[in-house]
Amino acid sequence: MAQAILDSETDLSARAGRDPVEHMRRGLGDWLFLAPALIFFVGYQVWPIVRVVWLSFTNFQFLSSKPAQWVGFANYAQALQDPLMWASLGRAALFTAMFLPGTIILPLLLAILVDRVANQRLATLYRVILLIPAVIPSTLVFVLWKWMYNYQSGPINHLLVNTFGLFTLQNAPQWLGGTALTLPAIAIMEVWWGLGYHTIFFIAGLAAIPKELPDAARIDGAGEWQVFWHVTRPQLAPIMMILIVLRFGSAMAVIDEYLIFGGFNRASPTYTWTMFMYDQAFHTGLWRQGYAAAIGMIGATAMMFVMAGLIWIFRPKG
Amino acid sequence: MSERSEHEHLFREAMRRELAQGRIDRREFLSRSLVAGLGAAGVGAVAKSGVQPAFAADSRPLTPTFYQWIQDLHPAIPEVNKRFPGINYQIAPTEGFGIERFVAEAKNKESTWDVYVGQTPFVEMSAFIKAGVIEPWDNYIPKEVIDDIIPSIRAECTVDGKLYSWPFLLDVIGSAWHSGITSKAGVPDTAPATWDDFLAGAKTIVDKKAAPWGATFDSHGWRSLVPVTHSMSTKVYTPDGLFEFTSEPAIEALKLMKEIMAYANPDILLEGATDAGVNGTPDEVAFAAQRVGLYFKYFNAPLRMAASWDDPKLLHLGPLPKFKNGEGSTVFWTTGCALFKYGQNKEKAAEYIKALTYDPQIWKDSIVGTPGVHPGQLPPYKSIYAAWDAKKPDWMPPFVALVRSQLDRAKAIDNNLFGLQQFVIGKPIWETYLKGQEPDPKVAMTKVQEAVQAEIKKG
Repeated sequence: MAQAILDSETDLSARAGRDPVEHMRRGLGDWLFLAPALIFFVGYQVWPIVRVVWLSFTNFQFLSSKPAQWVGFANYAQALQDPLMWASLGRAALFTAMFLPGTIILPLLLAILVDRVANQRLATLYRVILLIPAVIPSTLVFVLWKWMYNYQSGPINHLLVNTFGLFTLQNAPQWLGGTALTLPAIAIMEVWWGLGYHTIFFIAGLAAIPKELPDAARIDGAGEWQVFWHVTRPQLAPIMMILIVLRFGSAMAVIDEYLIFGGFNRASPTYTWTMFMYDQAFHTGLWRQGYAAAIGMIGATAMMFVMAGLIWIFRPKG
Repeated sequence: MSERSEHEHLFREAMRRELAQGRIDRREFLSRSLVAGLGAAGVGAVAKSGVQPAFAADSRPLTPTFYQWIQDLHPAIPEVNKRFPGINYQIAPTEGFGIERFVAEAKNKESTWDVYVGQTPFVEMSAFIKAGVIEPWDNYIPKEVIDDIIPSIRAECTVDGKLYSWPFLLDVIGSAWHSGITSKAGVPDTAPATWDDFLAGAKTIVDKKAAPWGATFDSHGWRSLVPVTHSMSTKVYTPDGLFEFTSEPAIEALKLMKEIMAYANPDILLEGATDAGVNGTPDEVAFAAQRVGLYFKYFNAPLRMAASWDDPKLLHLGPLPKFKNGEGSTVFWTTGCALFKYGQNKEKAAEYIKALTYDPQIWKDSIVGTPGVHPGQLPPYKSIYAAWDAKKPDWMPPFVALVRSQLDRAKAIDNNLFGLQQFVIGKPIWETYLKGQEPDPKVAMTKVQEAVQAEIKKG
């Protein structure tokens, strides 16, 4: 029977191959079905990238009426020689290093705790509470944390100065506005903001682990830590990899928070490569968008290499 | 010129202006030229003057767009709008002073709006001109209005002899003090005449523990470095309009700022909370919280901050202190109106801006304040002050005369593509001196100058 079906399909394929009209008709149909996705993909994804790549090889200035001229790799060479390029990339990497562990470890621990709550109503309540920050609009989150971190009137410094007496009004921590504490302060805010969202990822992953696996391990005498390390963690590896890669990308490319918490002060830790790019493209001089595009391409390329490394390191093994 | 050709010339010029203003289209222009027997002469006039493609007719109602804060601070604007039926009043997409939407539209030779109320000349006017976003008001603003603008303000708004900003709201930098704090410290309840007096007062406030901090200022260059420099000399600009950071007055200003910082709120150098760090600055928080005695900034800042005090009457305002033998000047700027090159309703826009900028209720509200709002911004016209001098309104506070008198000595920051950016680029560098990382102010300022020049060379 199977052989008969196979013979029949082979025969059809052979006939279609021999009949050029039929071949074209089938090909056209394929392309028609593919066209909407292809148009969207090319127009929405590929074209903007191509356009930015092209811009990065020109001297295009947004405020100038002169047409853009091809300058080859001049923008890249200039950007790579600019100490601000390297400093700003380093600052973005530093923020990512502060932010990423909190995005993985804390939600993972919370997910394991919530997963062990036997009372379903209580478990649901915990999940809802955890998700509250994730549904707060970004503007409100920024306003809230700006007030929390305010040097003179924020509740954090009020506690440190007035309640606990650990500091005075003269030496209280300056959290925001371009100090060394600004990046950790923003990282704490970001971890809080995404805690529930990331925890839900891990809760979903934990729910997908067959209960027999940890049970069997326990019967074999494994302790809780061994169960986590040898059973749970490998099962969550795909989710972990997705979160690490996605969050690495978003952390390296943060700009809204830096614009709001640090401004355009070039010495500020928040002046990262995204700020550098934005500053050149929309603020400085004639708005050198060709140069800004080169900064963006350098940053994006560096990110892609690291992302590829992360995917390889955190790939699910076995 | 014969009488006939003179008439022809006048007629041709009138038509050319109508074409330029978009009131007639090219077809209409050519038809009238032919009827009038001008023919090629009319066409020649157009070719010579390089008239932009004109709009066939105004195809929409007058569409002004305002920066959000102007609407917030001046609640009487809607009353003016009522005098212009059908006006399409809008708020500008200019968060954080961004002007990209305006530029992008101009590149396509179009504009959603006719006039933008929110242009500060030294901040963005040069960029607008360079990008061909705006055109001068000269063809539309009545001559009596131009003549009525205070000369220093007119100079601020003029580039190459053309008025690119119709001034509206005037801000001048001066001093302010909390008389509750100064009295408690035994500091004289008068405006400090010199910076030495200012420093002595700040020290006394701290020593007597009348407040946690003696004095404060806004660390953005155009609000501190420049006014303090101007108080010594205003001759600190290059022919291109760039600030000379290495000039002696600028270096003395930096040294003074460091001396003031010894008595100031420790977060004084931090960026602000709004508008990409430019507004909602730490000095405002300190002054609003009544934690500092002496202050200098544009007058509407202390006025707004004092509104939250237990007794706002404790606020006193005065001129900016000066250095001994200094020029005694300060800085002012106006927030004005820009006419979009590719907008419509240009004559109507001029009528509207004239009504807006002369509206007595706007000025009374601005000076006296309305519930929750006290901008303290002042008009740019000589005639308004003259009328107030001739018959002083019973609501007129003394700071208005003070600002007006300051204006005769004040100077705006010169217009340049880097008018604002030079201070943004320089701030972290001159702050190395203020923070004690660089001991020599001259070295710090030389690095600032080099950094600004390097950025300019990039284009």
